[in-house]
Amino acid sequence: MSVTNLLENWSQFRHKHPVGDQPHEEYKWAMSIDLDACTGCNACSVACYAENNLPVVGKEKYSHGFAHHWIRVERYWDADGRDFPDQGAQFLPMMCQQCEAAPCETVCPVGATNHTADGLNSQVYNRCIGSRYCEANCPYKVRYFNWYDYPTTDNVWPEPMNQQLNPDVTVRGKGVMEKCTFCVQRLTAAKSNARTEGRTVRDGEVQTACQQACPTNAISFGNLVDPEAMVGKQWMQQQVQLDKDKQAKDAEEAASKLRGYRILEELRAYPSVMYLERVRESAI
Amino acid sequence: MIDNFDRRDFLKVLGWGGAAVALSGCGNTSVEDGREIVTSYSEPAEYVIPSIGVYFNSTCAQCDAGCSIMGRVREGRVLKLEGNPDSSINRGKTCGLGQAGVQAHYNPDRIREPLLRSGDKGEAITWDKALELINSKLAGVKGEEVAFLTGGTSGHINVLLKNYLAALGSSNHYAYDAVSPSVVRAANKKAYGVEMPRLRLDKAKVVLSFGADFLGAWVSPVHFSQQYAQFRKGTRPEGRGVLVQVESKMTLTGANADRWLAIRPGTEGILALGLIHALGAAGMKIPGGIAQDYSLERVSKDTGISAEQITKLAALLKERTPSLVIAGSAAEGYAHGTQNAAAIALLNQVLGNVGKTVQFPAVVPFPQVLPTVGNRYALQALNDEMAQGKVKVLFNYGANPVYSAPAAMKLKENLGKVPFKVAFAHYMDETALQADLVLPLDSALEDWATSVPEYMAEEAQINIQQPLMEKLYPGTRGMGDILLALLKQRRADEYKGYEDFYSYLHSAVLQNKVALGGTGKDDDAFWTATLSKGLLKLPCDAGKISDKITPTAIALPAPFAADDAYPLQLIPAVSASLRDGRHANLPWLQESPDPLTTIVWDSWVEIHPKTAARLGIVEGDIVEVTAKNGSIKAQAYLFPGIHPDAVSVPLGNGHEAMGRYAKGVGVNVFNILDAVFDKGTGELAMHETRVKVSKTGKRVVIVKDEGSAGGQQMGRKIAARVTSDKVDLSGEV
Repeated sequence: MSVTNLLENWSQFRHKHPVGDQPHEEYKWAMSIDLDACTGCNACSVACYAENNLPVVGKEKYSHGFAHHWIRVERYWDADGRDFPDQGAQFLPMMCQQCEAAPCETVCPVGATNHTADGLNSQVYNRCIGSRYCEANCPYKVRYFNWYDYPTTDNVWPEPMNQQLNPDVTVRGKGVMEKCTFCVQRLTAAKSNARTEGRTVRDGEVQTACQQACPTNAISFGNLVDPEAMVGKQWMQQQVQLDKDKQAKDAEEAASKLRGYRILEELRAYPSVMYLERVRESAI
Repeated sequence: MIDNFDRRDFLKVLGWGGAAVALSGCGNTSVEDGREIVTSYSEPAEYVIPSIGVYFNSTCAQCDAGCSIMGRVREGRVLKLEGNPDSSINRGKTCGLGQAGVQAHYNPDRIREPLLRSGDKGEAITWDKALELINSKLAGVKGEEVAFLTGGTSGHINVLLKNYLAALGSSNHYAYDAVSPSVVRAANKKAYGVEMPRLRLDKAKVVLSFGADFLGAWVSPVHFSQQYAQFRKGTRPEGRGVLVQVESKMTLTGANADRWLAIRPGTEGILALGLIHALGAAGMKIPGGIAQDYSLERVSKDTGISAEQITKLAALLKERTPSLVIAGSAAEGYAHGTQNAAAIALLNQVLGNVGKTVQFPAVVPFPQVLPTVGNRYALQALNDEMAQGKVKVLFNYGANPVYSAPAAMKLKENLGKVPFKVAFAHYMDETALQADLVLPLDSALEDWATSVPEYMAEEAQINIQQPLMEKLYPGTRGMGDILLALLKQRRADEYKGYEDFYSYLHSAVLQNKVALGGTGKDDDAFWTATLSKGLLKLPCDAGKISDKITPTAIALPAPFAADDAYPLQLIPAVSASLRDGRHANLPWLQESPDPLTTIVWDSWVEIHPKTAARLGIVEGDIVEVTAKNGSIKAQAYLFPGIHPDAVSVPLGNGHEAMGRYAKGVGVNVFNILDAVFDKGTGELAMHETRVKVSKTGKRVVIVKDEGSAGGQQMGRKIAARVTSDKVDLSGEV
C-alpha cells in the first residue's frame, strides 16, 4: 500500500466498519460510562488486573511510565484559579476506546492490531514485533508496552501468586504491546454459548470485568446491534451516533439538554465508548 | 500424596457446597518430580468441567462490611472474585479491596507453619505441640489474667471465642479497630436509640456529609456506592440528589460532591448548630431555643465558611426534604468528637429526617452471633492492663496494634510485660513478630466461617464464608478449627461431637433450621441450599427508631487558637484500599493510584498550595512533619482539597515487617499521633495531633499517575461537566 493510495482513499480505509452500507451484522460491542455515577474509586482498575493478568510493575518502573493499567482513572481539577476545588474533582475511567477508525491500526507495520467483525480493536500478541507505532499514534494513550519479561521478573507473580493467573488470557512476554480488549475472552465464551443454542448473546449475559465490579453501575456494556441492549438505548437517547463525528450535542450545545459525548470526537477516530457528562447542581 | 480414590471420597463430603476441589492440578506440587498425579478429566466430578470456570458463593473478608462474593474456580484454583447479586449489601458489586482478596490468598508472604520463638528466630513446630504448649502455659494462670485481642468479630467465630474465654474464666475480649466510627456509634445510640441506623441515600434529596467517606472507606462503601448511584439518578421520583460534603481534607466522597466545603478542622459541630440557627432564621420551627448562640456571623467566622454559603445550604435543606445528614470520621476525630456528632445528629432531627432517611436497621435475632465491633478504646484498656502486668497470656487474632498504636502509648514495651503471647496471623506483621507463638491461619478463601455485618441493608442476613479451593499449605489452620481444638482442651464433653469447625457449623445451622427459614426442608437440602446461596436471609421485624428531638446540652469548644510551635492540624487519612494497614502487602492495592493524588507505592504529605508557598515547599520536597511525639519524613504533594491550616498523611504504609510488598514502603503516621482522647467515649481522637512542617532539603520526583499537566485538561473536553439546569435527566435510560 503506497502512501499516496492510503491518503487518496483515506475515508475508505477509515470507514471499514461503521458506514451505512456496511453495518455490523451480529455484534458491535460498545460501552457507555456515566461520569455522574463514577466516583473514581478504582475498583474497575483492580478488577482488570485480576481478570487480564496485568503485571504489577513496582515503584521504579511505574516512575518510568511502565504501568500496565488497561483501565485507569484519570483525575482532573478545575483550572479556574479558586482556592479550593469546591465542586470536587473530575474522574474519568480511560481505557481503549475501541475506535472504529482506529489511528493505531493504520500504523502497525505487521497488522498486529486490526478490527474484528464485531467492532473490537484487536491486538494479536504473537504477530506484534514491538515497533510501538500504535502507542505513539493513540490519542487516548491506552496502549501499554511490555518493556520487561514480567512472568520472569522478581515479585511480579512469585509462587504461588502465579496460580491466580487467568488461563483464558495470554500472559504476555517482553516486547509485546497490549491494551484493553473489552474482555474479549468473556465475549468469545458468551458468543460461543449463544451460537450453540442458535441465538445471539442476550443483553446482560456478558459483562466486562470493570463493569461487573463497578460499585455504582457507571459502566454499561453491550451489543449496539441488539435493539434490546441497554447500551444502545443510551446511545440513542443521547443521540450519539457511532459513524458520525458531529453529534446532536455538538451542534447545539446549549439547547440540546443532552450529556452524551465521545472524547476527542474531532479526531474522527469514531470511538465505541460514550461518556455521559458529570452533572453538578446549580442551586448550591 | 492423597491417592485419587480417597480424594474423590473427600469431594463427596464437602464438594457440593464449597470446597470446589478439582481432581488434579491444584498446582502446589509438581508433576515433573512425581509428587503429583495427573488425573484424566474423562471422569471428572459432576460439578467440574475442565476449562470452564464455576462460581461458588462466599463472603468477602477484606473488611467488616460483609459483602457477598462469588469466586470463579477453575481446575481447582480460585481465579477471580465477583459480587453476589443476591446480597442486599453489595448487589453483585465489589470494591478494589475486595478484588484483591485473591492476592491475600495467594500471597507469597503468608506464614506456612506454626512458629515458636527461640531467641530472635521462629522455630517450626507441629500443631499438636503448639496447642499443648498453650494448654500448659494456661495452667496456673487465673482467668482474668488471660486476654484475647481481636479486630471486629462476628458469627460463630465470635461464639467460640467467647465460649473459650468463658471456659478459661475470663471475660477479657478486646475488640480493636484503629479506624472504626466508634464515636459516631455512641452519638447515634444517644440520638436515635441505635448505634448504626440504616441510612437511605436512595430516598434523600440532599445528603450533607460531615467528613463521612461513605464512598471510600466508611462502614459499608460498596453498599453506599450502590445507594449513591440511585441517589444520583435523574429519573428517580425525588429527582437527582445533591451531595454537599463538609470536611477539612477532601475524601473520595468529597471529590464527588456538588459542593465541597473546606471547614476549619474541628468546627463541624459549630456548623451543624449554625445551620439549625439559619434554618430557624429562614422560618423553620426550631424547638426549645436550640442553637440560639450560633449566629451566622459567629459560625462563619469560626468555621471559615462564608455566610452566603451557609445561608444557601440552609435554604437548600429547608426546601428539599427529606435530606440526610451524616457524621463521619473527620467530625468525630477530636476531643469534642462526641459533641460534634451530637450536634450533627441534632441537625438530622430538626430537619425531620429521622424515620425517613434515618431508619431502624435490620437486626439478626441471635445475640451470640452479632458482631462485636472494634474500637480504639479497647486497645487503651488492654494497654493499661498490660502496663500493670495484669496480663499473663495474650491471644491476638486479626489485630496489628504494634503497627497501629501511637508510639505515645508505649504498647510494644507493655507487650513485653506479657509472659506468653500467641498470635493467630496470616503474615509476620509487626505484632506477630513480638509473639512467642505464631499460629498461621487459613486464608479467607480456604476457611469456614459465618459472619454478621454491623451494617445491614433491607434484610437481616448471616453470611457464609466457605473454602473456594483446597488449602495452599498443609500447615495452616482455620480460626474456627483452632478455637474448637482449644475448647476441647477445656470442655471436651461439650465439643467432642464436632470433629472440626465444618461439622460444628453444619450442626449449628441445622439445629436452628426453623428460625433460619428452613421449615419443612430436608436437612441436606437446606444445608446445600445455604452453602449454594452463600448467605441466610432472615425475617426480621422492623423496630421503630426514636424520632424524638433530644436537645441535650451540647458544649462545643471554640476553634483551636493558633499555636506557633505546632501551627498545623494533622489529618491521618484512611485510604479505601490500605485501611488501617492490614492490606499493605497486596501489590494490586499498592499499585492502584490513590484516587485524589494518583500517587502509588509510597506515603505523602498533602499540603495546600498556599501553605506550601508560605513555607517555600514545592511538589516532591521531602518534608519533616514533627509532632510532640515524634516525626515522619515524606514527599510533599501540593493538594488543593485541603484546608490551609491542615496537612494530611495517608494511613496504611510504613511497615517494618509483614511482607515484601509492604516492608519499607512509605511512613507510618499512626506512630506520631498525640494521645488525646474523645471526652465522651475515651476513644483516641485521630485528628487532634498538631504538627509543624519543615523542609529537609531533599527532593524526589513523585511517582504518580497524574501527567505533567498536573490534572488540567488544557482546554480540551476530556472529562466534561454540565450544570443541572443545562441538562434534562428525566428522559434518560
